[in-house]
Amino acid sequence: MDPESLLALVETAHPTLRRRPLTDRPAVSVAPGELLAVMTTLRDHADLRFDLLITHTAIDYPGENRFELIYLLYSTVHGHWLIVAADVDRTRPVAPSVCGLWPIAEWQEREAYDLMGVLYDNHPDLRRVFLEDDWVGFPLRKDYQDEYMLELPK
Amino acid sequence: MAITRLDAAINLARSNSLWPLMFGTKCCAIEMLMATGAAHHDLARFGAEVARASVRQADLMVIAGAIVKKMAPRMRLLYEQMAEPRYVIATGSCAISGGPFMYNSYTVVRGADEVVPVDVYVPGCPPRPEAFFWGLLTLQRMIREGETIREPGVRRKPVMAALPEDVSLHEIRAEIRAALANENVIDVTQAANQKPWARKVREWIQRASLR
Repeated sequence: MDPESLLALVETAHPTLRRRPLTDRPAVSVAPGELLAVMTTLRDHADLRFDLLITHTAIDYPGENRFELIYLLYSTVHGHWLIVAADVDRTRPVAPSVCGLWPIAEWQEREAYDLMGVLYDNHPDLRRVFLEDDWVGFPLRKDYQDEYMLELPK
Repeated sequence: MAITRLDAAINLARSNSLWPLMFGTKCCAIEMLMATGAAHHDLARFGAEVARASVRQADLMVIAGAIVKKMAPRMRLLYEQMAEPRYVIATGSCAISGGPFMYNSYTVVRGADEVVPVDVYVPGCPPRPEAFFWGLLTLQRMIREGETIREPGVRRKPVMAALPEDVSLHEIRAEIRAALANENVIDVTQAANQKPWARKVREWIQRASLR
């Protein structure tokens, strides 16, 4: 399906979500409260069939006090792509887990929790995945500091 | 006098049969332990080709690549499990100082000598196999000239094993002999014991012995 009709189809199913301009692949923004409903439609709609979650990651915007959660979806049935983005509050970063839709999300969400500190509702096993269990803080946040780290001298 | 000669004999034997540990932390391991061990460069010429998969059988640890904070206590544990006398060569920028990860890195340890005492540093990113051989030969020379069986672990100051240009082997030998004789002796083991990674390993051992 070409990007324009894909986006039109997604928008008719969920009128509240917004298109994102200036992306090389079709992309939409969605409120975190609606994320699960939108993702279910994307996976199960006969013309969409996004059955593969390629990646999930988070971007830190400390100036705007938000994390942007990015889901990159691919359909092995139709061969089309879609990027779904959701903003969560940086001071209370809680998002619904999509583990129930794509089991691989369990690991990807653990990674986002490990490095960014995003919390996922209904995640079966939200532990650190790369760092040690006694690690303090979330190192990919822009304001991360620890006493061992060296600042690059000006 | 007799003990000195015995030292010399033992050190000669030790220096010519270094068994490296099969251990690589990053991309330098491709160069250091695979390219050098293969037929073209042939580590066997220097008696150090017997790479062991068990720390109990190895006496040379080649730290090939950056060490992350998660790896540091584990590497320290491997080092402590090696039988003495044990030697460490740090190869490449990351293992010497952290290299490109020195600043603003939340995870890379700035140099292998933060974790274990290092005997020889081999600079490069990664070093050529020839540079590694030069480091190995430097270590062999250090073993022959340095440590006594009465003071194991207290060794000469670590040396930078850069491959110099336009100097003869004779000049290098004389220079290194003079440097080893004049430079002050430091206890490399003591220095590494002060670091947090060593404390973590001590905690593990304590916990394991309490169980």
